[in-house]
Amino acid sequence: MSEFEKILSSVFSVGTLQQMLRSATPVALAAIGGSMTEHAGIMNIGMDGMILMGAFFGVWGSWLAGTALAGVGMALLVGVLVGLFFALLVVRYKSDEFIIGCALNTFAVGLTSYLSRSIFGSHGTKGNPALPTLHLPLLSKLPILGPMLNDQSLFVYLTWIVVLLAWLFVYKTPYGFWLRASGEKPDTLRTAGISPKRMKWIASLLCGVLCALAGAHLSLGNLSGTFAENMSNSRGYVAFACVIFAAANPAKAYLAALMFGFFEAIGLRLQSYVSSDLTSTIPYIITIVMMVYVVVSKQARKRRLAKA
Amino acid sequence: MKQKINTKYLSSLGISVLLAFLVGAVILLCTGRSPLKAYGAMLSGAFSAPRHIGDLLEYAMVLALCGLACDLGSRVGIFNVGGEGQLLLGAIVAAQVGVSLEGSSPWLVLPLAALAAIGSAALYALIPGVLKVKLKVNEVITTIMLNTVAAYLCQFMAKGPWKSANRTLIAATERLDARYWFGGLIPGSKLSTAILAAAVIAFFIWYVMQKTTPGFEMKITGQNPRFARFSGMKIDRKIILCMAISGAICGLVGMFRVYGAEHLYKQAGISNDYYFEGLMVAMIARYQPLATILLSLFFAVLKIGAEGLQQVGVPNQLYLIIQTVIIFFMAAQSGFMETLTHSRNLKTLQESKKGGA
Repeated sequence: MSEFEKILSSVFSVGTLQQMLRSATPVALAAIGGSMTEHAGIMNIGMDGMILMGAFFGVWGSWLAGTALAGVGMALLVGVLVGLFFALLVVRYKSDEFIIGCALNTFAVGLTSYLSRSIFGSHGTKGNPALPTLHLPLLSKLPILGPMLNDQSLFVYLTWIVVLLAWLFVYKTPYGFWLRASGEKPDTLRTAGISPKRMKWIASLLCGVLCALAGAHLSLGNLSGTFAENMSNSRGYVAFACVIFAAANPAKAYLAALMFGFFEAIGLRLQSYVSSDLTSTIPYIITIVMMVYVVVSKQARKRRLAKA
Repeated sequence: MKQKINTKYLSSLGISVLLAFLVGAVILLCTGRSPLKAYGAMLSGAFSAPRHIGDLLEYAMVLALCGLACDLGSRVGIFNVGGEGQLLLGAIVAAQVGVSLEGSSPWLVLPLAALAAIGSAALYALIPGVLKVKLKVNEVITTIMLNTVAAYLCQFMAKGPWKSANRTLIAATERLDARYWFGGLIPGSKLSTAILAAAVIAFFIWYVMQKTTPGFEMKITGQNPRFARFSGMKIDRKIILCMAISGAICGLVGMFRVYGAEHLYKQAGISNDYYFEGLMVAMIARYQPLATILLSLFFAVLKIGAEGLQQVGVPNQLYLIIQTVIIFFMAAQSGFMETLTHSRNLKTLQESKKGGA
């Protein structure tokens, strides 16, 4: 087998796909949340902090109650609170969403590290009750797809449902229509008798909850009950990139998250050939190129319309 | 008029700081610690020894320059969030210049390193600047993306081509020859003569922004770009230039960190999201240069004081909580006041209606 074939077979192996799905899931959950705020016209860069809070409070709940389910419940509760807090500052008191997002990220690092050191000591915590993995005997018979999809953490499957629900919500329900209007044409929405502010509150709340779920999945699912300081590791920014890449469409955001997951996975696999630091930059560069492409194509369309 | 705004701003800042310390005290109490003891440790942590004061001034320098870089951009209406990446890039390029020219005179190496840092960081800042001006691509998003790209690239260089031969350092460049270091000012601290250069730069930025015609034109460009364009200013060029200068300052901060404090490039050592902290200081200062510089000192006291917290068994991240809570209060205040006066107006309106009837 030539060197090239070896590289190819290691890149396109079942393991890569499995890894892709694993690392894409938390990012995807957060990105779906970010799609909600993006549609409501809020540029939410505070997702990283929301994920981190979810990760910590998930582990803490699991540690306190002894079951991962309680951890997820705790993370959800905190997600609701963080979402409401974000909306209170950004929607009610009209603070700059960028400032609040920035501060929220740092606040989350401070709070979770402080609490983690106070409760667990300086090294964080490991081996708390974790989320179960699902094993479906029927699925394991399928080639490639079977081992890729089987034995993943519960949230991997849950995310598919969330993607579907979010897509239906945004594009097929009146609430989704109002949500999009609250960002694009708030005055028109107000004329129609619906408060754009309320839609923004709902969007922030959903974003908080979904990001907290992403965090809980990260700490209780992917890392089976571990909390380490700053463990969100800029995933919030990755999720933000996915939102931009997908133009806030939840389904496309999931695909974008898979792309990021894919590059992370092949980065790990190709380490002996290319530095994983270099492969990790690719999705970010693609996002920028994508943004430029979107803008340029929009302008070209406008010009065409003006001529016609 | 100006005086009135200043007192209003100062009182809102004072209230926010007080409330933030109160929130900190509540958190301390909840985790079973004495707030008095902790805040005492913070104070002594910042001022008990000359070397703490040295570290404090060094950190204030970093914060102030990063904050000013942010001020420069926001003055013309472009928001440079990419300072972290520009800083790292400037730092590693400057470090490598020093390593590869080892043996030459410091009079050659230092200016070259500074130029390399400025050049690379400014070029890197030009990408989002040009994209914003020519294509209207949101600069906040591109700079955030470019931050991560720069961090990965620097990590790659520090692990690969420019890696130190010293095996105990995993991702770092070679240590600089001691001849190239900025002279230390207080023994045992990170403070170096770089702060003098920083002071000159800071003064220059303040002077240009507040006292000169270009500074005034920048302000108009940021506040009313249409008016600026119609009065014949070349606003595109101004915005790009400000972005490049903003990047250049961040690159210089990277060089100062390498030649003044760390003497080699390693990612976590050179900057630990310092630019973001500087950015937050600039936000709290409402992008005013003088306020940015003064508040940098205040937050440096908090940060270095927080090291003293460790000694009484309190995690030093309390500092981050207090800092961000100040921002939350500051950011919410104007909106909060608005709702308050609004509801008061409503009430008086209703009462007068009742009286009329």
